[in-house]
Amino acid sequence: MFHLDGKLIDLPPRSRYWYDLIPLSLKPLAARLSALLPRGRVLTSAAQLAAYGADGLGYKNYLPDAVVLPADAEELVRFMRGTKSLGLPVVMRGAGTSLSGGPVAVQGGIIVHTSALRAVREINAEGFWCEVESGVTLNDLDAILKPHGVFYPPDPSSGPVCTLGGNVASNAGGAHCFRYGVTSNYILGVEAVLLDGSVHRFGGPAGGRGPWREDWKRFMIGSEGTLAAFTRFWLRLLPLPEKVWTFRATYPDLRTTESAIHALVAHSSYPAAIEMLDPRGVAMVESSQMACGLPEGSFLLLVEIDGPAALVDARVAPVSEILRQAGALDVMFSEEDTIRKKLWKARKAAGGLLGQLSPSYVVQDAVIPKRALAEVLQLVYDEADAAGIRAVNVFHAGDGNLHPNFLFDSRLPGDLEKVERISKRLMERVIEVGGTLSGEHGIGNDKSGYMPLVFGPDSMRLQLAVPAAFNPAHQMNPLKVFDCRRFAS
Amino acid sequence: MNAFPPMQTERIFVPFLDEVDGTLCLPADATAANLESLRRPHPLRFPLFLDPEASLRQQIEASTHAPASCRFGPYCDNILGMNWRLPSGRVARIGERVVKTTTGYDWLRFLLHSGTRFGEPIDYVIRLRPDCGFTLTARFEGESKALADCVPKLLQSGWMHWWDSVDMIVEGSGRHLRVMVHCIPAEAPIFASQLRSIASGGSGVALTLHENALPPCDGLPDLVCKTTPDRVLRLANDLAAKVERVVALCYSGVVHLHLKPGPDLPGRIHELALSVAGELHPLGGDWHSRWLPSTPPPLTESSWIETLEQAVHGS
Repeated sequence: MFHLDGKLIDLPPRSRYWYDLIPLSLKPLAARLSALLPRGRVLTSAAQLAAYGADGLGYKNYLPDAVVLPADAEELVRFMRGTKSLGLPVVMRGAGTSLSGGPVAVQGGIIVHTSALRAVREINAEGFWCEVESGVTLNDLDAILKPHGVFYPPDPSSGPVCTLGGNVASNAGGAHCFRYGVTSNYILGVEAVLLDGSVHRFGGPAGGRGPWREDWKRFMIGSEGTLAAFTRFWLRLLPLPEKVWTFRATYPDLRTTESAIHALVAHSSYPAAIEMLDPRGVAMVESSQMACGLPEGSFLLLVEIDGPAALVDARVAPVSEILRQAGALDVMFSEEDTIRKKLWKARKAAGGLLGQLSPSYVVQDAVIPKRALAEVLQLVYDEADAAGIRAVNVFHAGDGNLHPNFLFDSRLPGDLEKVERISKRLMERVIEVGGTLSGEHGIGNDKSGYMPLVFGPDSMRLQLAVPAAFNPAHQMNPLKVFDCRRFAS
Repeated sequence: MNAFPPMQTERIFVPFLDEVDGTLCLPADATAANLESLRRPHPLRFPLFLDPEASLRQQIEASTHAPASCRFGPYCDNILGMNWRLPSGRVARIGERVVKTTTGYDWLRFLLHSGTRFGEPIDYVIRLRPDCGFTLTARFEGESKALADCVPKLLQSGWMHWWDSVDMIVEGSGRHLRVMVHCIPAEAPIFASQLRSIASGGSGVALTLHENALPPCDGLPDLVCKTTPDRVLRLANDLAAKVERVVALCYSGVVHLHLKPGPDLPGRIHELALSVAGELHPLGGDWHSRWLPSTPPPLTESSWIETLEQAVHGS
């Protein structure tokens, strides 16, 4: 049997003999891919490919020509060696939870799904590091690390399914980044496979440069699959905090919420997380199965402090006082796991709930100085209301990392254009107030058009030099990050 | 997508202090004293100083880490942006003034410790932290093994997040373990109690606590070795016999070596570096000295460097 345009065709023995004599380069794509991945899987049927057409930015669909699932790192290397002869774009993909149109085949080509690379190879709790393959999911890693008394802090909401590979590619963040920082703060080393099949280890358990003169892993982290395929990482770990308190406070308006955020970020308790849900976000949660009794009609802050019990217990009263003094309508706090987990489940499920409210949605990811929070959020409401587009804000307030969600119907003429106009206006204002386009989702193909707002002629030249060094033909993930990155086979 | 036209001019940072975000843009040649005068009206601090006399740029060029990296991470996690002078003389903005970004490739972290091959910093945007007003310095003294036994007790619990630094200092035949705490005065007894409990668990370990002492000032290291936290004490011990002073930053896995000055200093540093390189490199560790030029890159790396050089030279 052989694959022809996704169909399995059985050949009589004599034909099979002649088929074997055809040069591989002249055989159908599926056959060429199967030769590169004898132990892995090759998907080419329309139904299979449809599952890979989009990422979390669901309304943009691009069907790949094929999807491959290498059985292990060795097979991924073998595949990479063969990519030149394939002459097609190569797009790395973890769980596909990216929200920026990152791991999708905009120019067609092959999607490489790394789900089989899921071994946690070593945990060194004394050395505060572990070695993991790129397909390991975040929550699986958490569960494996917990008995060792250590954890890996970045915690994007997609934790149950998202992979370390995707996290590193997009420099993922999460709710607890305010104190703990993002992925780039925890990557000690990256094993990268370039398009020529060469395998390079940038860093390692010690987190330095290794034998290289320059620190190349810095470019790999957050490179959105445009430079290399990743097979494994060395991650920095921290000891687990002993005790956690979670606070919930509600505010009547944006200004008072902002003043509470300003007071919290300067406080000696160093909260681990400061999250905000606007009244529309709260209403959305409360009308879903995630409802947990959040007071409706107000802006809600979710704050978490953690540490040794002796220390963190002494901080409960000062933190609740700060929340009250800023003008809270209501402050509640708890150390009980069930209550805390319910609150976090509601917060983290908010993104998924948006998909139930609307056929399409876009979530932006701008970061702004926190003194501009209320002003920029008001701009979001004003612009969206004027255009008749629903906007919901659920975001990482401590970092000034906005996530305005625009709900629309991409099938309705003009709806997408309205969202793009609002996004454009928002991004212009974000840059004017000193912010940036993306804090943790990456640029993908969703925000690449905004990059000229950020980079002038010299810094743009520097930016484009990085793919020029590692992937000059832009065969890896073309048309991402920068619009001009087009692959000409 | 509504694409924007290319920008004709480079955006650069202008000096600022944002007391809400705790960010400050200051010249790369600013010293601790300059920084102190800028931040004084606000309850903020920059904890990563190695030497109050040296400029921030000299410190960053001397090491990737400072003692307070134990709590706040290396310099690259505390420098958010730079105005960078390219070899062409033009100035480009690198990084941001906000604490999170995934906008484009991370030139900031790449350039920060790359020397002057690709240009040089003019200004830094640094991240400040809340100044809680109280500092506690703990000095553990005792036998080598007893002190070493205290280190995992300090690091392998949730308390680790709250130590500004945990450093083993070896000087001649003497050694001590230094722990820095920065907190509000009301929390000082809680930290002191935990430190006493750790000291009392070690045989023959004596603890002295100093309130509001000046932050540690080890000076700029002559040689820096990066390894893993579980190997750092052994590496420090191995090297201690050959140098004046060793400061091991225990969680960061960094050893700062201070050598006696002299005309043969670069030679002695080179010899030391060669003696540890074979151990450090396989772990993804490295060595670095402000006195020595970078070693020539391997062939593969040369081509990548060449491409970047063409970009920074504007060709």
